[in-house]
Amino acid sequence: MTAAARGRVGDDIARTGVAAVLIVAAIFLLVPLLVTILMAFDSRSYLGPLPPPGFSLRWFVACFSRQTLAVGLRTSLALGILATAISTSAGTAAAIALERGTFPGRTILSALFLSPLIVPPVVIGFALLLALSQAGILNGFVRLLCGHVVITLPYTIRAVSASLAGRDASLTEAALGLGASERQALWTITVPLARTGIMIGAIFAFAVSFDDVSVASFLTDPTTYTLPVALLSAMRANFDLTIAAAAVLLMVATVILIFILDRAVGFDRLVGQGMFRT
Amino acid sequence: MPLALLPAALILGLLLLAPMAGLLVQSFRHFTPGHVGSDVGAPLTLANYRELLNPAIVGLFVETFRISAIATLIGLVVSYPLARCIVRRFSAASRVACIGFLVALILLSMLVRTYAIELAFGSVGMLRPLLRAFGASPNSGWYIQCLVGAGLLHYLIPLSTLMLLGTVQSVDPRLADAAQSLGAPAWRAHLSTTLPLSRPGLIGTFMVGFTFSISAFVIPMVLGNGRILFISNTIYDRFSDIADYPSGAAISVVMLVVSLTAVGILSWLAGRPAVPE
Amino acid sequence: MANSLAFRAVTKRFGSVVAVNNVSFDIASGETVALLGPSGCGKTTILRVIAGFETPDAGSLQIGGVEMAGRRPYERNVGLLFQHYALFPHMTVAQNVGYGLRYRGLPRSEIGPRVSEMLELVKLPGHGGRYPNQLSGGQQQRIALARALATQPSILLLDEPLSALDVKLRQELRAELKDVLATVGSTAIVVTHDHEEAMSLGHRVFVMNQGRIAQSGTPDDIYVRPTSRFVADFMGHANWFTGRRTGPSEYATDCGRILNVVPCTQPSAEQCDLCLRPESIDLLPATIEAGPNRLFGHVADVILTGASRQLIVTLEDGRSILVLQQNRTQLPWTPGQGVVLGFPPEACVLVPRDSS
Repeated sequence: MTAAARGRVGDDIARTGVAAVLIVAAIFLLVPLLVTILMAFDSRSYLGPLPPPGFSLRWFVACFSRQTLAVGLRTSLALGILATAISTSAGTAAAIALERGTFPGRTILSALFLSPLIVPPVVIGFALLLALSQAGILNGFVRLLCGHVVITLPYTIRAVSASLAGRDASLTEAALGLGASERQALWTITVPLARTGIMIGAIFAFAVSFDDVSVASFLTDPTTYTLPVALLSAMRANFDLTIAAAAVLLMVATVILIFILDRAVGFDRLVGQGMFRT
Repeated sequence: MPLALLPAALILGLLLLAPMAGLLVQSFRHFTPGHVGSDVGAPLTLANYRELLNPAIVGLFVETFRISAIATLIGLVVSYPLARCIVRRFSAASRVACIGFLVALILLSMLVRTYAIELAFGSVGMLRPLLRAFGASPNSGWYIQCLVGAGLLHYLIPLSTLMLLGTVQSVDPRLADAAQSLGAPAWRAHLSTTLPLSRPGLIGTFMVGFTFSISAFVIPMVLGNGRILFISNTIYDRFSDIADYPSGAAISVVMLVVSLTAVGILSWLAGRPAVPE
Repeated sequence: MANSLAFRAVTKRFGSVVAVNNVSFDIASGETVALLGPSGCGKTTILRVIAGFETPDAGSLQIGGVEMAGRRPYERNVGLLFQHYALFPHMTVAQNVGYGLRYRGLPRSEIGPRVSEMLELVKLPGHGGRYPNQLSGGQQQRIALARALATQPSILLLDEPLSALDVKLRQELRAELKDVLATVGSTAIVVTHDHEEAMSLGHRVFVMNQGRIAQSGTPDDIYVRPTSRFVADFMGHANWFTGRRTGPSEYATDCGRILNVVPCTQPSAEQCDLCLRPESIDLLPATIEAGPNRLFGHVADVILTGASRQLIVTLEDGRSILVLQQNRTQLPWTPGQGVVLGFPPEACVLVPRDSS
């Protein structure tokens, strides 16, 4: 075979190989979700093998009547909204200050602010528990709030930084040159510029807070717990399909969230804005 | 320092740095079994750290890192071609749909994903008859390891793909075209040009995926079936089961040090440019 | 024969857009042809079809008599010079130039000498150890050329080779490029939107518009005898008159003038347009007597551009005419001054009226 012919064969093999890998990956990602959706409507009263013989909404009923899930949901929502509000405000302010500032130690400070992303969440939760206990803060909700503010802060900072990166300096200079004061430039140029970043940061902060298990596991008490913690103990106590119903509901909520994200921001912006930077 | 940094700095200082310092101190305290945590005024000791040298704990670290590294690598191998496809091959509509799907997977609750995998591939799952046909059992050690890896991959693949989109976009597609026009078959063209130039992005993505995997808590807890313990699970056990806070603290400190070292090494590797200055 | 190219009835669509519309042409071995046209006219698509990066929806392509359908880019012996060079930034110059030689089956020991040979050809000997980002734009272009020629391709495709360079450098490299092409003897196709580049590099020029070839011929042919308004406009500035032919050497403009033209058979229709190139118009004093091909007006503006100058003359009916002169003598005309435009019949080019 000539070199070119060998190359051609190699190409064909590579092409089919890659296609195969991608198809397997797509199936792998989709199958568990589809199975869960299917099984959530299973009419049997126990967890049996696929396929379900009939369909019913019994598991959704069971899910709604589970007290712990309802309480957990309420707590998670309140916690999520509050934590998002706090970390979005603090994070936006910090990101703007970091982007525009010229003080020394900016890079170190930047890295420090993003450090909660590297620290294992379990370590964060554990350390916080010890510190808060020592400080005498025993209220479950306050503890959870502290934990969630810490883990959501890096997301808001990163999202806002990404949307400002590079452009803010020259636009602010242009505004100042045209006669705006520093403060006016901030509110008329920088903040609107950061708007998409703020939105993306807030959405991710909420998702992270709502989804967190590791930190919450350390900071809950018997009366205050989040939805994921409630789901986790339900899973460990009795692995049945009530959780499948809850899972389906959460999937629907995520899809709605995605539509909001797309409508508000658009996906190209999301990826291009550096939210998923290395 | 600007005033605007104050709130974030306060949060960081009070809720992260100070607790970390406290954790460090706690790890040196003596623990009396049966008590909750260390007693006030307990003497400082290195016993908690010495305990970590025993093979069970070392084995724990090794297993966590091993499974994490393999899962992250597989994630990269799948994500890179997927990212390339999305950027170069897909039409605008397919691209939006695909990215939307991947972002949805990322935002979807970790618990839901883990539960779904356990339901689909776990001991009562779909693959049971298939495995039985090969004489294997869904409860065997190696299968559980694969299951944990699968759980990690379900998050790693969307995350890595989204991160690699930027990397793929930054490499000029004309370079691979040029290589092909010079006679290199497509796969060699990409190996010579696209891949080396993607190196910093690939290493960075590996770093993010790896740190996520070694810190995993829910995935090994649910899918590991008690047989696979990651470091996070052991810390939690020290805390909840035997209330040995100092020991938990010691493991946490070591884990943090190892994580930061790994991040440091990978950052340095990623920082070396693909193109000589 | 070995390096000839036959393009037959090739059509290529992207979605609903027809980028290349039933195009056919032949290029002889050793010839250099320029594909000239505005962006979106299909010239880059034709280049990519020849290189093998796009598969035509219809038609065939033969290089050296061999059908290229189904052949991947690396199976064709075609060299490519990209618009922004596409040099591999992570490889040295020597590695870049030698890249294709590995796959063409050249033994290891011969790659080094061939690379040196190519670097000599482009006048950059000894640069093998450098990296592309250490080179200037002009040097990068030469290396890209060396890389494309190293594998001795049958056809060399150049995509806007000079557009990324500044003006001075452009002229320098244009001459060198012609030299190299002549030395190597490859068949070359240059794609460009710059008519100067096309005319100076190509033995023949194909002017393209909206996926079709509007006119093909030698540069002189196309400039002096354009067959459509589009081609005439694209090749340089043109002053236009509309009207009709009223005799074998007479043309009546719509604004009421009679001009003398050279007798010709094309265009065949009576209704046609008349094009007057700026450089073929003389400026005569206003006191001169009236006569054929003499138009009265006054100078509206004078623009100096260095070696030449442009004058905008407004005729009695308000129409503007651009005149191009060499900047040899002191300019006797000032804005506002009356002037007569004179031109020989040979300067009038008749062109079919656009039916669109």
